Amino acid sequence: MLTRKGKYGLKALVHLSQVPEGQLAFVGDIARENNIPKKFLDAILGELRNAGFVYSRKGKLGGYCLARPAEEIRIGHVVRVLDGPLAPFPCASKTRYQPCEDCDVETCQVRRVMLDVRNAIAEVLDNTSLVAMQAAGGPEAFASAQIRA
Amino acid sequence: MNAAGHERITIIGGGASGVLLAVHLLRQPSSDLRVTLVERRGQFGQGVAYSARQRDHRVNVPARGMSAFADDPGHFYRWLQQTGEPLPDGDYTFVPRRLYGRYLEDVLREAAALRPGRLQVLSEEVLAIRQNPSGTDVALANGTSIAGHVGVLAVGHETQPARSRGIAVRVGADDDTPIDPYAKVMILGSGLSMVDAWIALAEADHRGPILVVSRNGLLPRGHRDVPPISIDAADVPFGTNLGYIMRWFRALVRETQAAGGDWRSVVDGLRPYNQRIWQSWSERTRRQFLRHVRPFWNVHRHRVPPHLHQRMVDAVASGQVTLIAGHFLDVSRHEDMARATIRRRGLPAEATETIDVARVYDCGGVSVDVRASSNPVIRDLVASGAARPDALNIGLDVTTTCDVIPAEGAVSGRLFAVGPLTRGRFFEIEAIPDIRVQCATLARRLATGS
Repeated sequence: MLTRKGKYGLKALVHLSQVPEGQLAFVGDIARENNIPKKFLDAILGELRNAGFVYSRKGKLGGYCLARPAEEIRIGHVVRVLDGPLAPFPCASKTRYQPCEDCDVETCQVRRVMLDVRNAIAEVLDNTSLVAMQAAGGPEAFASAQIRA
Repeated sequence: MNAAGHERITIIGGGASGVLLAVHLLRQPSSDLRVTLVERRGQFGQGVAYSARQRDHRVNVPARGMSAFADDPGHFYRWLQQTGEPLPDGDYTFVPRRLYGRYLEDVLREAAALRPGRLQVLSEEVLAIRQNPSGTDVALANGTSIAGHVGVLAVGHETQPARSRGIAVRVGADDDTPIDPYAKVMILGSGLSMVDAWIALAEADHRGPILVVSRNGLLPRGHRDVPPISIDAADVPFGTNLGYIMRWFRALVRETQAAGGDWRSVVDGLRPYNQRIWQSWSERTRRQFLRHVRPFWNVHRHRVPPHLHQRMVDAVASGQVTLIAGHFLDVSRHEDMARATIRRRGLPAEATETIDVARVYDCGGVSVDVRASSNPVIRDLVASGAARPDALNIGLDVTTTCDVIPAEGAVSGRLFAVGPLTRGRFFEIEAIPDIRVQCATLARRLATGS
């Protein structure tokens, strides 16, 4: 599920989506304004850079910006990179599958439901862009809006 | 003519994609649709791919994957069983391609019988399709025209080699005349069409050396009867850069192989998501993929039946076929020979090499610049601004719902495209398993008007 890492990553990307084009944002500013530990944010932005969601420039005047327009970045795509395959339970991932010790995969009814759940999660997250999430008022507001809907 | 709805649909092109679209339209529960299918060759279901005559020009997908209907995967196999054709490997048999053309004809006939009077087929050449406030007008070479509400381009593969200068030919084309069986020939490309060209030569008992020139000197891999691994959309890293997804993909292949599996299972398991992956990428990533990964992806993804693969490997081992990694630069006529200029991979720009051969078969670059299409309909649409090339210039620009995008302004909702022409948006849209889904989706939309 969405870890703190995923949540911080999404907040950082929303922050970057508000930076005027052609400008860079400092890690320190992103961390302070979003209440994210800076060291953790460094690691998260590094991963987002490796996956092609952000660009960075090193040095004194260095910083980050989005590598793609915010409307093209889907939050499901970001969460997969930061938190791994979308899966409510470890056994519900097909590629990062981890069996539970105490049940049989073939007959586990819980797993079957959870597979449907994860596909529903993916559907929502993959159809929501950074722009849409920002309009909904940040990750928490968006999540509760989804629950109400 | 009715101004609202999509009652009259004109399909330009009666190859596999045109026939599949017509069939899916006729099978829609809505009974209002009238379909006109126009094909210049007068044979339906037998476009560039499925008109091949050689015995060993096989469908490169086993019978079980070739049904016209994604929701009835056994349909083609049941048809095959009725024909009495030999099926040595059951539904894993790779059947001759012309059989598939016959299947499509039968499927079309059946769908037409389902809706008497709803399908009209015309053997005519289309010159242009124009849009007007009430619909579309399709101009034919015989001077008449067809009025309708909606037009769909299903013109299939480009029939003229892009790099030919009138010298290189496509296999089986009219200018592919018989040649001296001991002559040296050159084939450009490393894909399935290259294999087709080689098969045609082998069937004609060609004894001379065959040089195969492609960027990386690769051969398509052979099929193996292994099941695809199960992957959900939630597992697939969409929207990343190329490096990230390639690392993910290679790790998945390693894990699958470590567990005793086969790389083909991973390639095939990912297939349902290929279009979505492509569409999730930035233009830059798509460009990088085409440039750096596509040759390797294609030889793993578009495989040949095992026995043909073995024959090709043997032909390379025996020295009859020589694989050359390099760039094809030019071809000119030199007395009665074709003089090809190539540069082997890794050599400096000036290290070009000329090779005289009796024939050059151009089997590369199915991606085409639509502005220079050999099809007048496409050229006219692009020239008039009713259509435009996609951003990567590998086909016609369409939306994810197959609407043709004009040079300026919004889509009209009256002009659509299906099949290989839409590869800029759909990327893998050259094989039946992909085309049938695209056609079924468009048919549903046209029938319900939403």
